[in-house]
Amino acid sequence: MTLGATSDIVGTKTQGRGLIGLLLVAIPVVLVAWMVIYPIISAVVTTLWMPDANGTDAFTLKTYRFFFSDGYSLANLQLTLWTTALCGIILLVVCLPIALYLRFAKGRLAAYVQGLAIFPLFVPSIILSYAFIRVLGPNGMVDIILNAMHLPKIRTPYLTPWGPLIGLVWDHIPLTVLILLAGLGVVSDASVEAARDVGAGRFRVFWNIILPKLGNSILVAVSFAVLGIFSSFTLPYVLGPAAPEMMGPFMQRTFRDLYDAPNAITQAVISFFFCIVFGLFYVRSVVKNQRGRG
Amino acid sequence: MKRRDFMISASAAAAGAALLPKMAFAAANRIDWYTSSDQNIIDFWTNIIKPKFEAANPGVTLNLVDAGDSAGLQAIEARAVAALASKADPQADFFEGSEARLPPGALEAGVYVDFSKAGLSNYSKLNPLAADIPQNITYRGSQVLLAYDTTKLPADKAPKTWADLVAWIKANPGQFIYNRPDKGGSGGNFVVRAIWEANGRDPSKFTVDNYKPETGDPMLQKGFDILKDLAPSLMDQGAYTSGNTQSIQLLSQGAVTMIPAWSDQALSAIKTGVLPETTGLVQLSDLALAGGFTKNTIPVNGVNKAQALKLQDFILTEEIQSAIITELGGFPGVSWDYVSKDLHDKYKDVIPASIPTWPGGDWDKNMKDGWYRNVAPNVDRNA
Repeated sequence: MTLGATSDIVGTKTQGRGLIGLLLVAIPVVLVAWMVIYPIISAVVTTLWMPDANGTDAFTLKTYRFFFSDGYSLANLQLTLWTTALCGIILLVVCLPIALYLRFAKGRLAAYVQGLAIFPLFVPSIILSYAFIRVLGPNGMVDIILNAMHLPKIRTPYLTPWGPLIGLVWDHIPLTVLILLAGLGVVSDASVEAARDVGAGRFRVFWNIILPKLGNSILVAVSFAVLGIFSSFTLPYVLGPAAPEMMGPFMQRTFRDLYDAPNAITQAVISFFFCIVFGLFYVRSVVKNQRGRG
Repeated sequence: MKRRDFMISASAAAAGAALLPKMAFAAANRIDWYTSSDQNIIDFWTNIIKPKFEAANPGVTLNLVDAGDSAGLQAIEARAVAALASKADPQADFFEGSEARLPPGALEAGVYVDFSKAGLSNYSKLNPLAADIPQNITYRGSQVLLAYDTTKLPADKAPKTWADLVAWIKANPGQFIYNRPDKGGSGGNFVVRAIWEANGRDPSKFTVDNYKPETGDPMLQKGFDILKDLAPSLMDQGAYTSGNTQSIQLLSQGAVTMIPAWSDQALSAIKTGVLPETTGLVQLSDLALAGGFTKNTIPVNGVNKAQALKLQDFILTEEIQSAIITELGGFPGVSWDYVSKDLHDKYKDVIPASIPTWPGGDWDKNMKDGWYRNVAPNVDRNA
């Protein structure tokens, strides 16, 4: 929120201070270049530039052709996209009301709700997975409660695509709520009260006053959730079905069990291109924000 | 340069210098031990072997590291191979749950100690069933068997042959589950047993170097067909857990009646109460499910090679071998003549006369990927 002030620190007021500023950003920039940008470039190059039948290196698309002609790989990609899209939608539906409540409610109950909403942040996903099996798994806690009430058992989501979906939504609630809550901070009490004074109902206030200001935060929240879910590993590994797999476990299995590095890297590059779309949304919104304030 | 800038860079350099040596060299008298095994084995080493060995060898410490699984262990072993070529320090002294033939080329590079020439005092006591190339040495064995709930399936009705087992699974839909073959040996060796069944029940047809796609894939496919036929009768019409432990969890929650399980994991689960006392164990008598002796290897270029050899000799002593039976529920690596007579008599019913094994390498890789492509999908789970 105070990007204007921070940019003064790296400003060019004196030579020495500018140098320190550059040194401070140099470390993260070098780290990103070394551990993110370079591997990406190297991955793209390795998958496009491979030895052909004669052993000489040449440009080839064979691993990509294999991926997009292999029904098994495509089913995995499709499941990943399905899980990601559905998770994004469910997260918004679940988190927006929580964030709105936390923005406008005061008092002790709101503090408890906030604590509960942030709680998943502190639960490691492997613990969550085993807890999930105990609660929602076959003959788990839910089944025991249903049985006590003489109701039929549920069809367990464990080992179906719904297992990781439920786990991932729960896991991503804190980050989404926090980002939306930060976005709601921009909405001033005065503007909400002014709208109420002229007779706007709850829904009108939300639709005409709050939502226009929140668009950016929703985009950021969804981008973050999507990036995390697309590349998730533990929850789909433990809770998901054997096939189709999500891209995370699929890549790991291709690389470590089959020793098939070229195809594993190809899967990574394909995942990367799907993620970059949402990464660009995020970058665009940050840049827009900065320009708007600068 | 200003004074403050100098201080920042100087302290950064000093911090870096303090951290570097630790990262670059293995410590003397600290055995860097890596394993591919499950948590019960790491617990056994942490609670039993480590304190006993360190007490018997003052000044030597054991650094126990979990490499995750066999692929993870091979990554560490590949480091030892690379270090041998460049005459560097591999930072590893002992590999538990290893295989000297892997990673490919390791044996030819001569990275592993030849135990027949290492002068171990207990070498002659090893069980002849565990005989292998001299770069592999064992200290414990275990086997996959079937664990079931005797309250739902009386022990005298438990299946004893593959045909009985298939008939039972089909007659009791939803009561059997095995894990994905790459995620744990209990499910993996169940898949292997189906492949053996389809190929004349002859494990000797599969060796570490005789896989060829044109002859091998049809042999595997015949096994996959058996498993595909079973899939609709499994839990949830074809669900597969993601590990040995998850299968045991489902059996303990009463969600299924029978699972394949490692003998040592099942016995320790019963001992700790994870599985109830009413859990029954049975082995198929027409051809047992695969199992094997766990192999250890020691790199020739480890800094603490002498201590690592001493450790291997130590775990073949009667004290540790008896603990493997009583604490771990495993089989001893030495002949049964070298464990105490009480134990020998108590366990004489489960002492295996033979343990069929499944080779690592290409067969294993194609069995696992073939299973994912052929058996796991193609099931309409909503039907």
